[in-house]
Order: sequence, then C-alpha cells, then structure tokens
Amino acid sequence: MAKTQKSFFSFSTLFNVRNTVILLCLILMGWLGAAFALDHKTIFLPGVTSNGHILFEASCASCHEGFKPVTNETCMRCHEAEMATDAHGPKKFRDLRWAAELEKLEVLTCTTCHNEHVHMFDRGVHLKPDLCMICHEGIIQGELASHKDFSPDGCWTAGCHNYHDHRTISTGFLRQNMGQADMLPKPALPERSFKPELKTPPQPDLGKEFVGGRA
Amino acid sequence: MKQVVLGGLLALLLWSGLTAPVAAVDNAQLQAINQSWSKSAHALAEVNCSSCHQPQSAKQVIQQPTHESCRSCHEGQVDTFLLGKHGIRLLEGQPALTPALAHLPMQAAVHDKQMNCNACHDAHSVKTLPASVDSCLTCHKDNHSLNYKNSRHAQLLQEEGVLPRPSTVSTTCATCHLPRQTSESGTVMVNHNNTYTLLPRDRMVKEVCMNCHGMEFAYNSMFDDDLVESNFARPPTLSLDTLKMVRTLETQRSGNATSK
Repeated sequence: MAKTQKSFFSFSTLFNVRNTVILLCLILMGWLGAAFALDHKTIFLPGVTSNGHILFEASCASCHEGFKPVTNETCMRCHEAEMATDAHGPKKFRDLRWAAELEKLEVLTCTTCHNEHVHMFDRGVHLKPDLCMICHEGIIQGELASHKDFSPDGCWTAGCHNYHDHRTISTGFLRQNMGQADMLPKPALPERSFKPELKTPPQPDLGKEFVGGRA
Repeated sequence: MKQVVLGGLLALLLWSGLTAPVAAVDNAQLQAINQSWSKSAHALAEVNCSSCHQPQSAKQVIQQPTHESCRSCHEGQVDTFLLGKHGIRLLEGQPALTPALAHLPMQAAVHDKQMNCNACHDAHSVKTLPASVDSCLTCHKDNHSLNYKNSRHAQLLQEEGVLPRPSTVSTTCATCHLPRQTSESGTVMVNHNNTYTLLPRDRMVKEVCMNCHGMEFAYNSMFDDDLVESNFARPPTLSLDTLKMVRTLETQRSGNATSK
C-alpha cells in the first residue's frame, strides 16, 4: 500500500484500473455525443430496420418523440390510408362483443404486434409467428377443422389472410367471386377527365428573368 | 456551435440566392421550354412560368421548384407521393431518395438521380404517358420491371399507340402501382404512394387486378412468384389451395341444402 502511494505520479498508477475505466467511459461518451451531434444517429439503432422504414431510419424523430415509446399516432401519420379499412382496429375491440379478446392480447396499439429494428418476416413487419392463434386457435379446432393441420404462422405467410385488410380474404368474398371469367367484361379503372379552359395558350411570362436576369 | 455554423451556412445560402443570377438558361433553351410548355395542359390551364417559378408566396424567382410548388394544385398527388418510398425522405426533411439508396437493382447510370415530381414528370411538357412506364424504367432494373415490355400488358399499351395519357384499357406500371382512384367527391386522382399497391399482394388483388380480371385468375397469378417475376408473361398455371377449400366448402353447403 505504501509502495503505491509513494509512486503516485509514476507511469503505472496513471494507467491503473480506475483511471482506465474513467478514460474508456469518457471516450465512449465522447463518441456517442459526437455521433448524436453530427447526425450519425444510426449507431444508436438496436438492429436492422425493416425495408419499409430503412429509407428514413436516420431521422429518429420520424417515429420517436424523444425517448417516449412509439404511439399509434406516429404510425398512422404515414399509414392512415392503409388502415382505413382495418378490420382488427381499435374500433372492433371497443365493441363489447370483442372487448374480452383484449385480455388475451392487448391489440389496441400497433407496437403490441409490430416491432422495428428486430428480425423481420416476409411482409416487412415484425410479427411473432403464431399471434393469430392467441385468439383463433379454438375456432380452428372447432368450426374451421379444415385448417387443423396448417402451421400456425401460415395464416399470413402463406398469403391467405391479412390481419388488417379482410376485404379480399374473407371466405364470403372468395365465395362471391368464384367462377368469374379471367377477364371481366370491362376494365373498371376510372377515366381521367381534364378539360382545359383555354383554346390557345397564353404568352409565357418570366422569360427575361431566366436569360441572364436577376431576381 | 453546430447551430451557429448551420445558421451561417443558411445565411450564406439565402444571400447567394438573393444576389446570384436566376439561372444559366440561354435563349435557345428558353425557346425550347416555352414551346414545350405552350403545347402542354399546363399552358391551357393558365399555369404560366410564374405559377411555379415565382408564386405569390415567393419573393424571387425559384429556379428549381420543388414538390411544394406542385402541391398548390396537385395536393392529393403530392401528399400521397410523400407517404410512399419515393417521397418519404422528403416528408422527413431528408435529402431526396436516389437509386443509389435502393435495395432493388437499379440502373447504374442514374444512381444520383433525385426522386422528386420532376424525376418522372417533365413539368414543362406535362405528359403522363412517359411517366407511366418510361420514367419507371429509367431507374428500375429488377426482373419484374425489365420484363414488362414482353408482357401482354405492354402489348395492350402498344396496340393503342400514342395516347395523350394511358387509357383505361392499357396497362402500364402506373396502372398497378400508382392507380387512379375516384374520391368520394368524384374527382379522379392518381395515388402516388408507390408502396400502397405493391405489398401485400392480396391487397393488390382487390385494389388493382380485379379492376380487369376475375378473382381466381388474379389470385393464381399474384401468388406465383415466377409469374410475378416474368411480369405476367403467360396465363396463370397455379391452383391455390385456398380456392380449392372454398370450393369444397361450397359443395358441402349446397349438399346440406339439398338434403334438408
């Protein structure tokens, strides 16, 4: 002990464990701070971002307000149109008939099922493979015995069911449209109707400003 | 410190914007632009140079108008564009998407092309026909895109010849991925969110394929990876189990109905 005190200013005490740890912490803090200040925020990402979000993964604020968890509002800012026909949305579970299902899985928030920066499955969103089974297993063993031997993640990976958009994958829809001709009688895309107001174009303005002019 | 530097840069940028010549356009170029514009729908709708290059909100001439200029008339188109992968970086205040950032195979020659309204639409000529296929193929080099030209869909477009804009009969890249939609008010708009009708494929079946094709034809096509890759070069050969199951169910039900 006395020996250590004597050599307080010696080279070996300068690099003792405590000082090394402090130094490493300072380097780490400096590195993280610099990354934050210089907008290299991708180093804070905990994993690979999904194909859908990777193009703006560096702008953390797109999804994260400070360090708060991601809310439905952040998701809906971009996905509102897709969710307009959401069959499993909060509206469904506010209906008393389905409200009890929430005890099995709290599906009122997007992040219950979807996580970002973790392993992704085919459809570009993270999903635990057997989420559907939490509520639907009973139905499959009973009424829908035809589905009994299917794999639990097959509901959506096989392309049959879409959790949010039931419009085309309900049995009703398929039954209704069975036996249709390959080509429907008439294409249903709307014709665009733009009618210009003028017969002859006006004189172009701003010409002077563009040829060597100044603003 | 960073803010001071940024502020300085911004001030410099504004200052140079105020004093620098508007654009390096010579008379010949201006003539060509004017001519192209005077034949366009923009001219006949009284959208003049100043409408985009010097709107009332701007104090000086804007050399290169952004999507904000387009937005003053094409609100729905720009808003949907900003939600898709093509435009999301602009929505998030980041530099525009370039093919270099894409995961799909892209044409090497255009790796730095900035994705904005003008990337697909020449605002001076206002033609939607090139924007429906040619603009896409300027950047996209994946098999599905490259195989379009050999598809029956492309043949339909070719048979129609040169149109002012793709008709409802011709099927272009845009027909499926940037489809026209009728709003509740009855206005027809092109949904420019390029990822809205892309995946999942079953949503495309309803939103796009079934505008022209029967349900089974659409499903058996869309869930055949090879067929999608070849851009639907042949009729579908797949026979989905889902459809068989529904048929079985139907027979059972009608069987029960007759036995009662």
